[in-house]
Amino acid sequence: MSRFRPTFFIPIIAFLGLVIIGGLALQGTLSGSRNPNQLPSVLIGKPAPDVPLPLLKNSRAELALDAYRGQPLLVNFFASWCAPCRAEAPALEHLSNQISIIGIAYKDRPQDTLQFLEQYGNPFVAIGRDDDGRAGMAWGVYGVPETYLIDPSGQIKWRHAGPLTRDVITTQLLAKLAEMQ
Amino acid sequence: MGLTEFGHFALISAFGLSLIQSVVPLIGTARHNMQLMLVGPAAAISAAVACVIAFGALVTSFIRSDFSVALVANHSHSAKPLIYKISGTWGNHEGSLLLWILILVIYGAVLAISGRTMPALLKARILAVQGMITSGFLAFSLFTSNPFIRLANAPIDGKGLNPILQDPGLAIHPPMLYLGYVGLSIAFAFAVAGLIGGDVDRLWAKWMRPWIMAAWCALTLGIALGSWWAYYELGWGGWWFWDPVENASLMPWLAATALLHSAIVVEKRGQLKSWTVLLAILAFSLSLVGTFIVRSGLLTSVHSFASDPARGVFILGILLVAVGIPLLLYAWRGPQLMSVADFNLKSREGALIANNLLLVVATAIVLLGTFYPLGLEMITGARITVGPPYFDATFNPVMGILVMIMVIGPVMAWRRGATPRAKTTLLAASVSAIIAGVIGVALVQDIAIGAIGAVMLIAWLAMGIATDIWTQLKPLQRAGLASRWHRLPTEVLGMWIAHFGIVVFLLGATGDGLFRSEQVVRAKPGEVVTIAGRDVTLVRVFERQGPNFQALTAELEYKNAASGKFIARLMPEKRVYTAERQTTTEAAIRPRLGGDDYAVLGDGDDRIGYSLRLYYKPLISWIWGGGVLMATRGFIAMIGRRRQYAVTAPLPDNVARDTA
Repeated sequence: MSRFRPTFFIPIIAFLGLVIIGGLALQGTLSGSRNPNQLPSVLIGKPAPDVPLPLLKNSRAELALDAYRGQPLLVNFFASWCAPCRAEAPALEHLSNQISIIGIAYKDRPQDTLQFLEQYGNPFVAIGRDDDGRAGMAWGVYGVPETYLIDPSGQIKWRHAGPLTRDVITTQLLAKLAEMQ
Repeated sequence: MGLTEFGHFALISAFGLSLIQSVVPLIGTARHNMQLMLVGPAAAISAAVACVIAFGALVTSFIRSDFSVALVANHSHSAKPLIYKISGTWGNHEGSLLLWILILVIYGAVLAISGRTMPALLKARILAVQGMITSGFLAFSLFTSNPFIRLANAPIDGKGLNPILQDPGLAIHPPMLYLGYVGLSIAFAFAVAGLIGGDVDRLWAKWMRPWIMAAWCALTLGIALGSWWAYYELGWGGWWFWDPVENASLMPWLAATALLHSAIVVEKRGQLKSWTVLLAILAFSLSLVGTFIVRSGLLTSVHSFASDPARGVFILGILLVAVGIPLLLYAWRGPQLMSVADFNLKSREGALIANNLLLVVATAIVLLGTFYPLGLEMITGARITVGPPYFDATFNPVMGILVMIMVIGPVMAWRRGATPRAKTTLLAASVSAIIAGVIGVALVQDIAIGAIGAVMLIAWLAMGIATDIWTQLKPLQRAGLASRWHRLPTEVLGMWIAHFGIVVFLLGATGDGLFRSEQVVRAKPGEVVTIAGRDVTLVRVFERQGPNFQALTAELEYKNAASGKFIARLMPEKRVYTAERQTTTEAAIRPRLGGDDYAVLGDGDDRIGYSLRLYYKPLISWIWGGGVLMATRGFIAMIGRRRQYAVTAPLPDNVARDTA
């Protein structure tokens, strides 16, 4: 009397899908190859998106990336609620001696952002507020932290999703920066 | 033979016994051989005894600081207080797995002993399924994570236990959480047994419900304890971080909550059977996934103290079998359980279905938010976080709708329509929600939409419950309050308490979210900081020596800013654990019903000042109070089982109706 019904197969199919993802991730972890190439951004080689953002410390003024033309620039999306951003803070602090860094506070409350900077240091030359994540959308941000390298002409040259580690900085970022100069 | 070897031997015996428990009763059910079926309870009880011995042996090694046992040498230290030597047993992967197994077999044994009047075939099948789960985990322990390995050369002292785990809250948090996770295995066994036998009916649900209730209560308490621990131990002032490990416990809780409600429909009405079976499988699967996330190191988090990818392969194997086979069985046998729906959507059933759908959507949201970063990391190698904004925007609205339905559901009638008290209740709840919303907008400046929503929902639910209680208990002409109370089904009482627990929880969460104050400052001794009407003086900062740590302690004096009256002295600390070479922050908290004063000491010295984080968190302890209240529901259910036999008089409208 068993009736065959396709809907009853949905759970097992969904489950197998998840298992495959889990298995692949695990395999990556086990073989130690879990740092594959960066996902190329469609924006690489294109001008940085121009989304007007209020400044964190003066919400009537706007963040103008154009003002920084003529020098390489790092744009860092961060948030106070983001744990990897805390881990990344010392690296940014260190980098700020070599390159100007613009911070964009992604979906964060201004008072929280200010406290975050108080606690973990402020390596930024200017900070824009992306309260609703609109700029993040335009930049194609996956999540925070995420960092973009912009060349003197205002084009995006490189992007990195996730915290900047010593390894990423020395092998990728500094190399790209050297190429530029 | 040493104690450790004896424990190891006991664990191997338990493995053999559970293999017998998984096979023999099933043969018995196929041949209708009672003798073979009765092997199930005997094997289950013996396996439990063997596991108690094994676990006892391991705990004893920890208490005695027997560093010839590798696990003790790696995770304990002779200078540790006794309670943390004991809790150190499950503060590591191998030991916590053994605890997991211990709870699993104890559940199995309790099921074997109780339920004498349970249908014999059903019981035999359930015990067999339990035996299979136990065998899988015992194999996992014995073959990949043996806790009883000896060291050839015992070190003089142990390596210690991660200091943030040296905490009373964390000594009981994992056992409580495991009681919940593992308790869901019984519901799972009911589901699989039901699929095998095709006998999912009202009786099946009646037998299953107390087990779901027990697991759910333990899970609720476990999550509340974990959140409380994170609040006072991590020193970030938050109580929920949407951390993968937290999400891992929240997902089975959401699924179990749905299961708890859908099982009511099966028991009272014989409907939603295949759905309930699926939920039971889902709830335990999510418990396994929870174990998977914490154990395999797939997702990093503040809790990543027990990560090891190699073991992940084994867990993935267990998952594949333990979830895949039941789901296949479901695809094959599930259609048999379908029944013709005999109710309108506008009914108690309809409301419970809405409850289920919303809870499943919420589970999916948490699942996505937890695994999306994982999927992304696989592709790009990037460690990113979606964080609270994602959950605030997705999870909270879904739960908001659920809270709305919590008032509507209980006043609907079974099958179709509403009960006579529906109009009063809904009207009262709406009016109070609107009043609360207006007051909220008037009193709080720049109130966020979400906050207004939360305030209105609290008023809606609180008034909904209050009116429901009033209309069901108010004395009518002849029947007095006492008589009504006496005839009130315990289930209704339990529901009120659990739902009221949500009100209390929401009050805490909203109070903290809306009205908390924070100050991050750098202060030198003698300086005064003002927060939430308190003048806080940093009196001094000094060093002190603990039993197994060195501490830098700040003395903060809290005074009422207006009257200058002394309120409290708080001593936040930074500790360095010498054996483990780890630093922890110990927040100082003055918990009160109205709100907590919370202080954290950061870096600094007398010259440049110390960084201090001060919070005032209104109503925050209500969050955990609400959790405890929800868990009380389980005790009510236990009392109810006794009361059930005493009450023979006809029950009030909603219950009388379903037999009509």
